[in-house]
Amino acid sequence: MPPIRDKFTIHSKAVVCQDVELKGDITIGSGTIIHPKATIFAIAGPIIIGSGCIIEESAIIVNRKKETMRIGDDNLFEIGSRIECPSIGNSNTISTRSRVHHTVSMGSYCVISPGVLLVPTEDEVLPDYTVVYGPSAERRTWSGRGKVQEADLRKKHADYLKETLPKFNRLRRGDGT
Amino acid sequence: MGPSVLYHCPCLSTSPAPPPPHYPSSSHQFHPLHNLFFCEECDAVRCNRCVSVEVSTYYCPNCLFEVPSASVRAEKNRCARNCFSCPNCRNTLSVVSSDPPETSDTRLPTSINTSGEPPFFLYCNFCRWDSAEIGITFEKPTGLAAQLQRYEDSAPESLEFERLKEHFEPFLRASSLSSSVAVHAAHPGSAAHSHHLHSTSITAAASAALARDIPGVSKYNPVSRTASGRAHRDRTANKDEMPEYKSRVEIAFVGHGSGGGDAEVEYMRRLRQVQTVARLEQRWGNSWAGSLQIKDLKPLRIPLHSKRSKRCPTCTHILIKPEQKAQSVRYKIKLVAANYLPAISVTLPHLNKPTVTSDAAKRTLMKISPQLVDDGTTLQGLVAGKTYPFHLALTNPLYDPIQVRLSVQRVHVTAPTTNAGASPEKARRPPFAISLPTSHFPIAAFAEAWEYEDDEDMMVDDEDFGTGMRGRDKDGRGKTKTVGVLEKRANVTLIGGEVIIGKEARGSIKFNMLVTYTYRSDDPTPSEGDGDMPKNSKPPEVKTFAFYTVVDLGTIIPREEIRPELDT
Ligand SMILES: [Zn+2]
Ligand SMILES: [Zn+2]
Ligand SMILES: [Zn+2]
Ligand SMILES: [Zn+2]
Repeated sequence: MPPIRDKFTIHSKAVVCQDVELKGDITIGSGTIIHPKATIFAIAGPIIIGSGCIIEESAIIVNRKKETMRIGDDNLFEIGSRIECPSIGNSNTISTRSRVHHTVSMGSYCVISPGVLLVPTEDEVLPDYTVVYGPSAERRTWSGRGKVQEADLRKKHADYLKETLPKFNRLRRGDGT
Repeated sequence: MGPSVLYHCPCLSTSPAPPPPHYPSSSHQFHPLHNLFFCEECDAVRCNRCVSVEVSTYYCPNCLFEVPSASVRAEKNRCARNCFSCPNCRNTLSVVSSDPPETSDTRLPTSINTSGEPPFFLYCNFCRWDSAEIGITFEKPTGLAAQLQRYEDSAPESLEFERLKEHFEPFLRASSLSSSVAVHAAHPGSAAHSHHLHSTSITAAASAALARDIPGVSKYNPVSRTASGRAHRDRTANKDEMPEYKSRVEIAFVGHGSGGGDAEVEYMRRLRQVQTVARLEQRWGNSWAGSLQIKDLKPLRIPLHSKRSKRCPTCTHILIKPEQKAQSVRYKIKLVAANYLPAISVTLPHLNKPTVTSDAAKRTLMKISPQLVDDGTTLQGLVAGKTYPFHLALTNPLYDPIQVRLSVQRVHVTAPTTNAGASPEKARRPPFAISLPTSHFPIAAFAEAWEYEDDEDMMVDDEDFGTGMRGRDKDGRGKTKTVGVLEKRANVTLIGGEVIIGKEARGSIKFNMLVTYTYRSDDPTPSEGDGDMPKNSKPPEVKTFAFYTVVDLGTIIPREEIRPELDT
């Protein structure tokens, strides 16, 4: 395997803390917030993260495949979650200490509840509004009621972090700027 | 499961000795130490089976509201505030408002009304179930419980139960009146009377209920025939007057939504996806048998919890009493056996996995175990025909040193037979022999960690006890001994024992062990002079307490299971 060549493209309006581990070809969109101690590894193919995402402490995002890993907008990756999905839509919630395997692709408005281990052996796509919860990774479909309020809350969450994080952390800039 | 030690509670039985451990009746008489209480008044161990229990508070585990007992009845044992559990995952639900109408331009910031947009509904943050899915919404975010209870109370079973209660009400009132009169008339100033003196109204009500006559069953009454005779006649009259009860609905015709019936059979027959069936744990908390289908599950008001006090069954002194407040996890009174009896944990060093609870005992074992690491010839377990050492770590909870003596209860067991024609019953009896040190040994006093200045202080000075254990410490050939006191460290003494397992033994190695200990009594001795007592005047008063334990070392591995082809 050829050595991984680092190439970080970070939007000027993104907030990426200095203490974040980045490896490989990574693009981070506008308004996305990455807490210290988060890890993003583009081992094989590149990783593209959209705008308005929040990636919390000790969250791990890994791309083991050659193809580009695409993460949409307004997704929340909570503390200690680990994601290897080849593609993720918008407004998903990946809760604390949950783990999603590289066999799973995600639509939009999906919820992976805390501690869920989602590791199917065969490739599959989670349809929009899928909720995976509980120790046996049960699934149900969310009605979507309350999503506007949730989006509003996530936006406020991001706005607050955008203001607070730079006060206590050095920020990382992209290679280009 | 590793080896274990359980403690005996005689539960007011006249014989203090427990049954042999291989009797089925043995198991329910032994308890883990942390489940037991100790009555100082009676100087006896008490367990949850023999104490009398009183509820001191009802409270909601979610909002921690303390519910007065009158409301507990009216609100049917569930929280009447805004506490609901998710019918799907049993997480707590929250009340949320509806989303504002979506604007066509998603880029525009949607203005969200702070007081919330009706209709309101219940929402699960964990699995994202919401009550609008099953058509339950609310105009206002308050008073939801009352609305849900109205729904619960309108269930056919609930209505039926209410009607039944109404039907029996006059009969119950009459019979409880007459029976309480009968009880007092039958035992004027006797046991019943003195019992009422020092028990609460709750236990009095309970005993009255127990003393109540069962219609059609004549009551044994040795005293005062006239009083009870009259009462009995009255009741017979009551019984005859009782009208027949007719149910509102025939249960056979109750269809879907109330459990059972042809509709349910039909549903099961057409079942395609098992996910549509509600699991047992999703239906468990329901007050009434409901539908089998997940789509019919309703949010439940959260069931209340209670805090309970426990009393000694003989002297009615309180053994444990929690603080009234729901938020508090403290106790006003807490007489637990762990503060009186030495804690005992057992380990089999050859299994090399200590299962001790106290840290001090663990540290002690870590030091001991390396010498006893097996040389690879021993199997992981207890094999028939072999001999194994075992360790008992005894921890003293008292602030004074204690003297302990262990003795194994003799069990009448048929002698091990070696002939092939032994009956299976005989073979099942585990023939094994236990050796334990027979003399007294000391355990030092419990002390808070900061009281130990250095390691020397943690060692107990044998001279203080003069029990003559020293001669047995080494057996002359420099070999480490297996039976006897192995180590004394802080308030933990480690005892070595040995089990010799018979060649044909089967079953588990379980034996009753009597633990006798003497301690200095805390009772105020009529002392000459309040200050420091002169050392030589009088020895402090010494008391003795004894209790039984059952030690379970594990299951014997029969020899034929190891070498099955040996005899062929
Ligand atoms: Zn008991
Ligand atoms: Zn409540
Ligand atoms: Zn739920
Ligand atoms: Zn008592």
